[in-house]
Amino acid sequence: MSPRREVIVASPLARDGASRFGRAVSTLVRGGDFLFVSGLTAVDPDSGERVRGTTASETRHILVNLKQLLEAAGSSLDKVVKVNVLLHSMLEAPNMNEVYARFFPEPPPARTVCGARLPDDAKVIIECTALV
Amino acid sequence: MREVIAAPLPGLDLRQHYGHHQSPAIRAGGLIFCSGMLPIDPETGERRHGTLTSEAHVIFGNLKLLLESAGSSLDRLVQVHALIYDSIEYDVLNRVYRQYVANGPPARTVWTAQIEAGFKVELDVIAVA
Repeated sequence: MSPRREVIVASPLARDGASRFGRAVSTLVRGGDFLFVSGLTAVDPDSGERVRGTTASETRHILVNLKQLLEAAGSSLDKVVKVNVLLHSMLEAPNMNEVYARFFPEPPPARTVCGARLPDDAKVIIECTALV
Repeated sequence: MREVIAAPLPGLDLRQHYGHHQSPAIRAGGLIFCSGMLPIDPETGERRHGTLTSEAHVIFGNLKLLLESAGSSLDRLVQVHALIYDSIEYDVLNRVYRQYVANGPPARTVWTAQIEAGFKVELDVIAVA
């Protein structure tokens, strides 16, 4: 039997912000033992509205939401294997790292951080792969 | 199960040297996920800035050390994201890259990004364990 692929509908839906893309994006997709999480921007978990802030505050918003999303899908922050962090400027990497370090328990996942031009004036996008 | 791959040499522990909150690599589900590989001296952790070619040589050397310490190798790479500072160097990347992936190269995507500390190239890879 081939490993199954399953789109996981997050609850509450507003939290993932994906509804803004007219269902062209699934926030969480399971494939085999892995859970693939779309790049998250900072959104208010209740309204689904985009939150604009500093790199630190956007990082905090994203990771609070990521924790909830993972747990709703039967995973958790301590099962994350790889994280990709995209920043609007690499000068902000220390500000992101400081907040990031408070969320991920020991030992932290593998990670890549780079600077890129991000959509919708986002300062931070975080995507990850986790075990389920 | 999720297992941390420790730095095979002290210089490759970016957490210790630069405070990055990350493990060098994680083994999970039969795969090895490496943190972004940078041109760092594997013994001392010092940054080895240079040309894209020289930086790529250092990176592949470090990647070889890391993967082999985990029982994998460059021949077992399945996916590579190659970040470069300027797309004008794409051909330069390819010239050095192909020297290291002669045996059935992995899937790959290259794009331009801002890389930490002004480095010219970074490799983000997944290998089979």
